[in-house]
Amino acid sequence: MDLKALKKQESKRKISKGYMWALFCAVFWGIWYLPGTVVWVLNPFDEMYLSIAKVSGDGVSLVVTAVLITAFNALTVMLALILWNGVLGKYGELGRTLKEFHPCSKWFFLASIFGGPIAILGSFIAMGFIGGAFAAVAALLYPVVGSILAYYWYGEKISKRAALGIGVIIIGGITIFGGGLLTELSSGTVPWIGYLGGLMAAAGWGIEGAIAGKGLDISEPDAGLTLRFLGENIIWWIIIIPLLALFGFPMYSFALQVFEPLTMLVLIFAGITFGFCYVCWYKSFPLIGVGRGQGIGNLYGMFAIIFIFLFFGDVPQWTILVGGTLCIIGSFVMFTEEASALETLRGE
Amino acid sequence: MSGNRPIKFRILELFLDGKEYWNYEIVSKIQEEYGMNSNYGRDSINFDIIELASGGMLKDVEQKVDEEGIYKKDFLLHKYVITDFGKVRGSDACLRYV
Repeated sequence: MDLKALKKQESKRKISKGYMWALFCAVFWGIWYLPGTVVWVLNPFDEMYLSIAKVSGDGVSLVVTAVLITAFNALTVMLALILWNGVLGKYGELGRTLKEFHPCSKWFFLASIFGGPIAILGSFIAMGFIGGAFAAVAALLYPVVGSILAYYWYGEKISKRAALGIGVIIIGGITIFGGGLLTELSSGTVPWIGYLGGLMAAAGWGIEGAIAGKGLDISEPDAGLTLRFLGENIIWWIIIIPLLALFGFPMYSFALQVFEPLTMLVLIFAGITFGFCYVCWYKSFPLIGVGRGQGIGNLYGMFAIIFIFLFFGDVPQWTILVGGTLCIIGSFVMFTEEASALETLRGE
Repeated sequence: MSGNRPIKFRILELFLDGKEYWNYEIVSKIQEEYGMNSNYGRDSINFDIIELASGGMLKDVEQKVDEEGIYKKDFLLHKYVITDFGKVRGSDACLRYV
């Protein structure tokens, strides 16, 4: 085989590997909605929600319960990632990366602030005050924030084709959740704090991707990701949960009740799916760029609906089928991009 | 002093002299410094170089087919040089300590 053909083949392999990681991310993210939904009706979280709601009202109770669930989610993700790094033999690299706080790991800690308490909590706030459909629509917009930031901040290239693909996927996502959104909006007045939550989700995840890209430049994704979740665990367990306990919420008494077999199983399932969704997400960025990685990752909306249908039997509406088709079309617009356009992701 | 910084830092540091290096030269040097002598270690270091190149910090300037099996027989060998962006990122990360 001649040099040119071999070159083309190699570059093609790299790009398709990047897309494969991004697709796995979407699948894991979609599956995550199963444990993420189930955990709300399990002990101790359902009791916690009811008991806080009695004292402080539904809205506050929902956010506080969401904090505890998110914190446990971060904890099990961390466990899954430590196992993952062990399998890859990367503990050494993990320690070396952690020590480089100033040039490198600070970016991951910064990313964890935007990913955890801003994006994930924002989603829960949007779900609580407006509804799940609105939260999901808002979150689908994060690649727009991510690609614009990556473009202006460190000049990541976005081809017209990639932009078009991202656009089609977003329209697909809006169609998927659009029906539910209209019902929610027409059912009454909507508090502004719900919109703020939606904005937090879209901006938080978009900013996380762009910031993480800065640290990923000079580190290995597996190590970087673990540090990002180390950061999130510190934020929840050392800062926010003790603060909420100080305000009188029964955080610790409910936290100690999670050691029931079913609850643990669901939390671990959530940790594994969310953890690997992030592994795949971060691995795709250096290969295909933040904008494309996030765009393909956005197929999670479609996968979530498929898995929720398979496991919970919720039959999708026709708007969901139309939206899902648009998402697939959008990702193919990106998949079929000429590989040579992707040889390097930044302008000279 | 070797083997105590993240691998990508060290790779950039090696390129900071501005010279061109083949990937197998860098890979074998890192393998030696970090004690990563398995095939898995080799591939994972090479992947780090690929990521640095796709991040725009290294530039792929020359390729040849590995006919003799210096690195991996019948695969492409790449020669890289550091870019201006790579120099900036590399000096941020590395030079402080040198």
